Amino acid sequence: MDIQTSTADKALVVAVGGRLDALTAPEFERKAAELIAATPGPLIVDFERLDYISSAGLRALLATAKRIKAAGAQMLCVGVTGPVREVFDISGFSAVFQMHDSVVGALAAVD
Amino acid sequence: MRAGRSIARTFTLVVSVCTTLIFTAAIGYSYHRSRVALEKEVATNVANLVQGSIHRVETTLRAIAKATEGVARALETGHPANRSLHALLKATLLDNGEIHGFGAAFDPDPVLDPPVPTVPYFFRRDGRLIFAPEDSYEYLGQDWYQIPKELGALAWSEPYLDRASGGTLMTSCSVPIFVGTGEERKVRGVVMADVSLEGLTDLVESIRVLRTGYSVLLSRNGTFLTHPDRDLVMNETIFGLAESLDRPELRDLGKKMVRGGSEFLAYTTIGGVSSRMYYAPVPSTGWTLVVIFPEAELYADVHSLTLVVTVIALAGILLLTGAVHGIARAVTAPLGALATATEEIAAGNFDAGLPPVGTRDEVGQLTLAFAAMTSALRDYIRDLTETTAAKERIQSELKVATDIQASLLPRLFPAFPDRPEFDIFATMDPAKEVGGDFYDFFFVNPTNLCFLVADVADKGVPAALYMMVAKTLLKAEGQRLGEPDQILACVNTILAADNDSCMFTTVFCAILDTESGEVRFANAGHNRPVLISDSTARLLPVRTGFVLGPMADVVYTTERMMLRPGDVLFLYTDGITEATNRTDELYGEKRLLKALQTVADMELVEMLAAIRAEVVRHADGAPQSDDVTMIAIKYRGMPNADR
Amino acid sequence: MRSANTAKNLSHRCALWTSLAALLILFLALTGLAGAEEPLRKARLMPLWSPQAQFAGYYMALDKGIYARHGIDMTILEGGPGRSAVRSLTSGEADFAVLWLATALQQHDTGLKLVNLAQIIQRSSLLLIARKASGIARPEDLQGKKVSLWDGELSLPVLAFLDMYRLRVQRIPQSYTVNLFLRGGIDATSAMWYNEYHTILNTGIDPDELQVFALHEHGVTFPEDGLYTLEHAYRGDPAFARVVARASLEGWRYAFAHPEETLTVVLDRMRRAGVPASRAHQRWMLERMRDLTRMDSGTLTDDDAGRLHPSAYLDAAAILRDHGVIREIPDHTTFTGGDDARR
Repeated sequence: MDIQTSTADKALVVAVGGRLDALTAPEFERKAAELIAATPGPLIVDFERLDYISSAGLRALLATAKRIKAAGAQMLCVGVTGPVREVFDISGFSAVFQMHDSVVGALAAVD
Repeated sequence: MRAGRSIARTFTLVVSVCTTLIFTAAIGYSYHRSRVALEKEVATNVANLVQGSIHRVETTLRAIAKATEGVARALETGHPANRSLHALLKATLLDNGEIHGFGAAFDPDPVLDPPVPTVPYFFRRDGRLIFAPEDSYEYLGQDWYQIPKELGALAWSEPYLDRASGGTLMTSCSVPIFVGTGEERKVRGVVMADVSLEGLTDLVESIRVLRTGYSVLLSRNGTFLTHPDRDLVMNETIFGLAESLDRPELRDLGKKMVRGGSEFLAYTTIGGVSSRMYYAPVPSTGWTLVVIFPEAELYADVHSLTLVVTVIALAGILLLTGAVHGIARAVTAPLGALATATEEIAAGNFDAGLPPVGTRDEVGQLTLAFAAMTSALRDYIRDLTETTAAKERIQSELKVATDIQASLLPRLFPAFPDRPEFDIFATMDPAKEVGGDFYDFFFVNPTNLCFLVADVADKGVPAALYMMVAKTLLKAEGQRLGEPDQILACVNTILAADNDSCMFTTVFCAILDTESGEVRFANAGHNRPVLISDSTARLLPVRTGFVLGPMADVVYTTERMMLRPGDVLFLYTDGITEATNRTDELYGEKRLLKALQTVADMELVEMLAAIRAEVVRHADGAPQSDDVTMIAIKYRGMPNADR
Repeated sequence: MRSANTAKNLSHRCALWTSLAALLILFLALTGLAGAEEPLRKARLMPLWSPQAQFAGYYMALDKGIYARHGIDMTILEGGPGRSAVRSLTSGEADFAVLWLATALQQHDTGLKLVNLAQIIQRSSLLLIARKASGIARPEDLQGKKVSLWDGELSLPVLAFLDMYRLRVQRIPQSYTVNLFLRGGIDATSAMWYNEYHTILNTGIDPDELQVFALHEHGVTFPEDGLYTLEHAYRGDPAFARVVARASLEGWRYAFAHPEETLTVVLDRMRRAGVPASRAHQRWMLERMRDLTRMDSGTLTDDDAGRLHPSAYLDAAAILRDHGVIREIPDHTTFTGGDDARR
């Protein structure tokens, strides 16, 4: 897994690559928590380069979303396609999270 | 201990060999230099001794020659009367104690009377002078007369044994008497002084070099005038000796001697003794004074000195060897003891005592370091033992947890032997000791069988704990509510409360009406089940619902379908479809469907076993991280269908 | 016990002495009988010169009992400077003498008739020796040079040699040594091959440094040492003289067959005579005598050995006559003892 962070306009963009599974999920969760603590505000998670997400990954995503929500902001998902999309669909996450096709689209949706 | 002895031995050997070599070289060099120096010194001393002796001899000989010459010159002035001639001879003899006999002889001359004159001759006997004139003419052919006459110069005769004086060794100094001047100058007579060589031979024989060194006097012809071997004296020449002994080099040496040479050289005596020789000429007479002394005596002091030094060196080397050996043993003995202790420690006895540290040297330091290492090792082993014990405890606890978890799931098959209308079979293989997957089935009422499969996010103990809660809640709420949507919604609400860790679980929950074959089901984010009907396997179209746990107040929908007798509903977790092989290829739904289709007519037990085997085959030994759970239900229809 | 033992010993000793005395008597009786049977006849021999290997044969004949075996009680007198062998014969001091042929002929001419009993040295051993360094390479080179010669008849072969090459030299009298030559006082010296030549070599001068004229190589073959006796003595008992000659020749053969033993005997005589005795020199001399006598062991019956050959005799005598030493040449047969000479 690799995480690339960038700031776009009003939101923080976190691009996740590789696999987000039981092994890597805790790291994602910790990093995201740090980012949220450092830069309060909306968080856009870019799944464009993510190959696989397991239930542990979903849990980490949930925890992150919950943490943002507690901070009074929102989390948006971008570029959820392929197998990742399937998992999102099966588990009902695509109905729970705000899903956008692109970062631009997500930014537009932020407030 | 063997290694210790070997080091000590090697060390001792090297030190003693090196020391021996150094001593040998040093002593050898010193010996050589001493020999050279000594030889040089002795050569000088001997040369001085010989030259000194020669000088003494020469002084005497010259005095005699001078006296004789004086008389000859005096006789050149004219024909002296016999009386005055006699007086002159007598006076000269009296004045010169070194002269034994004195005389004068003249060439035959018709002018003289008689033509062949009597030779006046005086000699000493018992301190008196005796007049012994010779009246034969034999003197004309004798050396003492002929040689100075023919050479026209003073000549010393070859030494001879004088019978008249009882075999005394004598030589004669003859001086020609000249008459006339220029072209007319010729020899008319000879003045002759007989000289005893007794004093001279005594002098020569007194020359002693070292202990058994001796001297030899050779005449002009190479005849031995003195020699320790009396048989040689006046009998043999050095050349005759060379011939007798067949020693050509001795002849060459003799030639150099009689030709007036002087030399210091190595010489092997007749007796075969390696010696040194020095010889130098006596210039007046052409004799040669030779001094010979044994090499062994020459080097005796050097030899004894070298011997003493060698003995001291040997003793020193022995002492040194002993000391080195002792030290080496002292050094290596603790090492040996240390090695023994190490072997014991290696065998696991950490309490084995290390040898006491006597010194602060390297061995002492090594022992201390070793003690520290042993102590650290002991601590580490203790920690390791403790850790291992702890781990084992955890393991055994986990084993208990596994058992507990397994025991929570219905494992007794056939589960409902008295219900012929359906078959149900399920398996759960946790990836770790405890898993997050679970299944369950139970009757909510006599004709409605609830069966479900669930997958808790993440794995391990947290997932297992969550699974326990979820499983318990699902059964309790399932039996209470009896409808899938209500069961999921209710359990979700309970789980969502205080779920800070955002744990969740997917659940596929269904209820089979065993009488009608109708199945009511609701899905909370779980994989779609497979329906096998008419030997065809297909994914059951299912509405997706959100997973249980993260959010409260999620609404689930119950869907319905009919199972015809023989149809099989196959529920599974993503441990099946997401099983990966070595190239990270997922097993996938397609393979699952295909596999299920081939085993569609099997009994459920065999079917699940076949699918499990198929998944294992796909994984091909690649490690699997997910639990594998399957539950299959086969509807047979009511036996009394006609009812 | 002690006295008994002593008595026993005494009796033993008595027996011993008695037997020894008996043996002695027997021995004396036997020798006395032998002496009575064939008494040794006394004879005295005067050599030409002091004891040396030149006379080894006579010494060995005496020493090894050869003379005695032939019934001769031989006494060898001591020769040397001032002791003329001829004079010893005339004075009756000696019965036999070793003489040069030239001497014998000269004496014969003066009326002292001598008989040659055996000829020992068959040819001239005389040499004229010069140093090559003095530029003398041929006999002609000796012209006008200082040459030393012995007195009397010993110089005759040299004079014959000089005449042969028509040489006029400065004659220097030569006595007993070659020291004058060694010191460079003369150009050439007379020398005997068996004696002075080796003496020169043994003063450190190498043969290749010397120019040697051996007279016999220049036609002067002059027999030298022979065994002589006075003619009237010979006529008195020719057989005895012949026995002495034969025993002497046998002595010579023994000497050549046992050179080292001979040398020991010769050197012993030399030492007793008080003359310088060099074994090396005497060995040389004995070897040269072997050459000069043309005698080898085992040739006892060789006609050459010990005989004065007529041709050599006549040649030598002719030289002497030509030099006026003798007036006429004695008949060879008479000179060698007549018809019965070789019996």
